[in-house]
Amino acid sequence: MQSSSIDIAVTPATKPGLRLLLLPLVILAGMGLSVEAGLLGPLGVQVGHLWATLSIFGVGSAILFFLLLLSGPQKGPAFSDLPRWQLIGGFLGPIYVVVLTLATPYIGIAMTMIAILSGQVGKSVLIDHFGWFGATRKKVNGERWLALLLIVAALVLIARG
Amino acid sequence: MMNLIILLAVVVAAGAVLSVQAAINGRLGETVGVLRSSLLTFVVGAVSTGLLILFFEPAHAVSLLDVPKWQLSGALFGVVYMMVMVGAVPRVGTAVATVAVIVGQLGMGMLIDNFGWLGNPQIELSGSRILAMVLLGLALVFMYRSNTRQA
Repeated sequence: MQSSSIDIAVTPATKPGLRLLLLPLVILAGMGLSVEAGLLGPLGVQVGHLWATLSIFGVGSAILFFLLLLSGPQKGPAFSDLPRWQLIGGFLGPIYVVVLTLATPYIGIAMTMIAILSGQVGKSVLIDHFGWFGATRKKVNGERWLALLLIVAALVLIARG
Repeated sequence: MMNLIILLAVVVAAGAVLSVQAAINGRLGETVGVLRSSLLTFVVGAVSTGLLILFFEPAHAVSLLDVPKWQLSGALFGVVYMMVMVGAVPRVGTAVATVAVIVGQLGMGMLIDNFGWLGNPQIELSGSRILAMVLLGLALVFMYRSNTRQA
C-alpha cells in the first residue's frame, strides 16, 4: 500500500559505488509497487474491493508483527505517549488501497500511478501556496506551478486515451 | 468518458490523501522507528477495513480463500519496498531514491498494462500514453530543481 513520496528533498549521499549497487534494488522495489497494484485490481473484481484491501492490510500486519518480534526491543516512546493526531495515519491507508483496486481495471496500472503522483504533487503545491491544514504559507515558485501544469496535461492525455 | 474523468479525479484525490498520510507517518517513524509506525498503520488499516466489511459489504460468490494463492501476495511487495527504502534512502539520498522508485513503478506499470499480466486488461502502449509519461518526467525534473533551490 506504500507509494513513493513526491516531496523530494535533498539529503547527503554516500560513496558512488554503493549508490550504483543500491539503485537497481530501489528500482526493483518501485516495480514491486506496480506489481502490488496489478494484483489488487483483478482481486478486487473477484472478491470485492474491501476484501482485497483487507488481504493487503491483514498479510502486511502479520509480516510486520513477526519482523518486529524478531528484531528485539525498539527505541522510542510508547504509542500512548504520543500526540493523538500522529496515530491517525492508518485510517488514510485503506482509502488509497480501495481506490487502487477500483481504478486499475479501468485505467490501467501506469495511468493510475500517474494520477496518484499528480495528487501528491498537487497537494504539496496547493498546501504550500495557500497554507492549508496549518502549513506555513510560502510562495510557490514558477517551476513547481509548471510541474503541476505538465502533470495536468498528462492526465488530460490519459483521459482522452 | 464522464465516468473516466470522475474516476481520474478520485485517484488524484487518493494521491493527495496518500501524501497526507506520508507526512503524518514520517513524523511518527522518526520517533518510534519505521517497523513500529508501519505495524500501527497496517493494524489500524486492517481493523477499520474489517469493520467496514462487517457492516457494509454485500456477500460475494468468490471469497479470498477461493482465489489462487499468488493473488494474495500483494502485501509482500509493499513490505519489501518499505525495507529497501529504509536501507537505501540514507545512502543514495531521497531525491535519487524517489526518482528510481517512480521509474520502476511506471516502467513496470506500462509492462503490466501492455501485456495484460497478472490477469489485468490489456492496454496497448499508445502515442498519447508515451507522451503522458514524457510530460510526467519533465514535471519531476522541475519539482526536483525547485526543491534543490529552496534547500
